[in-house]
Amino acid sequence: MSEHKDPKPTPDTSGDGWRVLSYLIGGVLVYGGIGFGLDRLFGTQFLVVIGIVLGAGLTILLLNFRYGSKS
Amino acid sequence: MIAGVPTEFTPPGPGSFETPPIIHGVEWFTKPVLVAALSVVVIIWFFWGASRKAAVVPSKLQFAGELGYNFVRNSIARDAIGSKDYMKYVPYLTGLFFFILLNNVAATIPLIQFPTFSHIGWAYVAAIMSWVIYNAVGIKKKGLFGYFKHQTMPAGVPAWLMPLMIPIEFISNIIVRPVSLSLRLFANMFAGHILLLVFVLGGEYMVFESGSIALGGVGILTFLMGIAIAGLELFVQCIQAYIFVVLTAQYIGSAIADEH
Repeated sequence: MSEHKDPKPTPDTSGDGWRVLSYLIGGVLVYGGIGFGLDRLFGTQFLVVIGIVLGAGLTILLLNFRYGSKS
Repeated sequence: MIAGVPTEFTPPGPGSFETPPIIHGVEWFTKPVLVAALSVVVIIWFFWGASRKAAVVPSKLQFAGELGYNFVRNSIARDAIGSKDYMKYVPYLTGLFFFILLNNVAATIPLIQFPTFSHIGWAYVAAIMSWVIYNAVGIKKKGLFGYFKHQTMPAGVPAWLMPLMIPIEFISNIIVRPVSLSLRLFANMFAGHILLLVFVLGGEYMVFESGSIALGGVGILTFLMGIAIAGLELFVQCIQAYIFVVLTAQYIGSAIADEH
């Protein structure tokens, strides 16, 4: 057990999948929530759908910026 | 139950997790409390015994203790937090890992057979503890404003997209993380335990109480399937303890990381 040498210079990525999942949930929650609120405000029914799709799309874009350009 | 008359089968449900007090009148002392207390005793005994007579040529117990400790220290803490700051968090991560591991595996140990974290309160507390720690060390290192800037401004995103991204980052880093951490552990333990109950209680009903030979044959198959499921559950129990601690370590690592 050598103290000094670090066998893995690159950061560990084994939990990245779970972190990506929490981003996806977060994005859908935020923009779906905003859409839901606006629906209640205006009495419409379609904004929650737009919000969910927009949130998922933005999150995928965010994930692309965050994890996509590493290699 | 009269012989020959089929009785109604009551499937297991959330009610199967209601644990009455072990000692009459002491409301808080239920089975999960007993299992958790036992696990703490076992962990203390194990690591105390492993480190008490530490020698250059290790005893079997010392070797096992060092194996477990080194696993958390090197494969979880150092990889996720980085070789500069990780030592400070190793005691917490080691304790957390073995506490969750033992309480999960308790669902497989005969006579105990109850996963503590199938009561959601335990999972909430474990997740809140990790949440407080990773936020606290982040705030301590970067200051309140600097930490929130670090956690809400994703690197590499063009400036015009930033206003749209900040709420996603905030919700997913501060709110969804602890919720998913606790729900993942709770749901896996709850579902695994109820799955075993369905197979074992269903098999028991079909073999002993249905009074039908054909159902009895199926019941024996159900029992065998239940044993296979128990093996799968043992795997899930270990994996869930590992994931919980790996994610905690990564959250700490990303909270104190320098700008990427």
